[in-house]
Amino acid sequence: MLRASELTKRYGSTLALDRLSLDVPAGAVFGLLGPNGSGKTTFLKLVMGFIFPEAGQIDRGDLSGARIGYLSEQAFYPTRFAVRDYLSTLGRLGGLQGRALRREIDRLVAQLGLEEFADRRLGALSRGTLQRVGLAQVLLGNPALILLDEPVLGLDPAAQKFIRDQIVGFHLAGKTVFLCSHNLDEVTRVCTHVAVLKRGRLVHTGPLPEMLGARSEVIITTGVIPADLASRLAALSPGTTVGAGQVTLTDEAQACKAQVLRLLLDAGVDIQRLDDCHERQASLEEIYLRVTGSARFPGRVP
Amino acid sequence: MKRICTLSAFLIRDLFRSLAGLLPLAAGFTFYGIAFEYGMDQAQFITVAGVGLGAICLLTALLLTGRANRASFYPFAARLHRRSEQLVAVMAGSLAITTVIAFLMTEAALLRHQLTLDFPSALWIIPTWLALWLLMAAMALPLSSLVSRDGSHMVGYVLITALLTANDRRSFLEDHRLHWLSRAVSAILWPMATLLAQASAGIHGRSYLLALALTVVYAGLLFGLAMALFEHKDLLWVE
Repeated sequence: MLRASELTKRYGSTLALDRLSLDVPAGAVFGLLGPNGSGKTTFLKLVMGFIFPEAGQIDRGDLSGARIGYLSEQAFYPTRFAVRDYLSTLGRLGGLQGRALRREIDRLVAQLGLEEFADRRLGALSRGTLQRVGLAQVLLGNPALILLDEPVLGLDPAAQKFIRDQIVGFHLAGKTVFLCSHNLDEVTRVCTHVAVLKRGRLVHTGPLPEMLGARSEVIITTGVIPADLASRLAALSPGTTVGAGQVTLTDEAQACKAQVLRLLLDAGVDIQRLDDCHERQASLEEIYLRVTGSARFPGRVP
Repeated sequence: MKRICTLSAFLIRDLFRSLAGLLPLAAGFTFYGIAFEYGMDQAQFITVAGVGLGAICLLTALLLTGRANRASFYPFAARLHRRSEQLVAVMAGSLAITTVIAFLMTEAALLRHQLTLDFPSALWIIPTWLALWLLMAAMALPLSSLVSRDGSHMVGYVLITALLTANDRRSFLEDHRLHWLSRAVSAILWPMATLLAQASAGIHGRSYLLALALTVVYAGLLFGLAMALFEHKDLLWVE
């Protein structure tokens, strides 16, 4: 459905995407995660053709711009236009006209619960209602691929659930949805596939059920670990997480177990307990924090 | 064509629903008040009103590019098949607005007996002005932030200012042995100068037709320049 190969994009001296290769299967709800500035929105703009890569390419198959629905992160609207007028103009640009256009707008207005707002100016609507108008413009013309950038950002829980239900509906209707989000709960609930970006590079990708599957880890409970030793331990393997009085070795990091224990003992750290091969299901949050290195976020919790 | 008409109509409505929409109207009203104070004959009308409305066309095209360069425009841009459609819609919109202002101005001047027109020769005003406005609308594109890349529009403004200043100071250039520069400026501006001079003199021979064709070619070249800049430009919307 959508394939990116070795995509590289720079804004001046800032590297926004670094040789990103991604394959989005048809019919998937594909979640793209990553810290702020990791290149998620840049990727969507490249897909839409609003910006151009320095290297690499995007294969959109036979999808033209009109067959891709796109909702940007902070959607702005021509505030002096009424909802129906706005959708009508966009529908005509997408090739709809006459009775077919009116029917399509009526259908979307009903589907998204916009009946009472259809003749109001966009500037007079709340953020949640505007987001529903945004979804209506995305769905105009029945696109095969839907790109959503932070669709629930700043919405109340009811509005978030409404958007989530719509995404599930798109999936059931056979559409491919590409979702950029910081909301891991939302991604866990609706996505079939997930990719994680960090500083423009792909650090993790795969089907979500596989990612959340049973995992094994070693938890070493210790006394106080000096800061310099904590840094050395964390650098041993991406699966090594050093917390307050605890070292966790996940998956491939368990190969470093002997080395970690030796370093702890050599430094005189008190080893209180060793839980080996602890089987459990990981949360998306744990995976995200591990692969992006955000578990070692600078600063302290008061 | 339908997409261009739809987009053009949207841009015009968007402009006139904002305060910026008052600018072309205010410019037209002011120009009418000044230019028609003592009345005009057909020859003056072709030259003075043609150039004045050309300036309004340039201003309007710049305003419309501003509307097409806002973050709220992205769903519209996403539905276009080619980026050139966006630029053509801007040009069509500015020509439509200028035509309406010209029509209203002419009507008002005729009704108030400030203008005398001789028909059918007055009909030559239409191709003369359209060619001139087409050039102005096309010129606005590379001068706009929507199309410019890395401040290229500033180079455009400097070049136009230099050209008009050199044209205004041609005797100075001749006196200072810069005949070549004076002749170059004359050659560049020949189509527009000849178009207006011949039309106002009521001569519509080969020189007029050549000047008309060259003015349209100038517009085409400027549109080509705008497309070359815009075709692969990163669209970073103004929020």
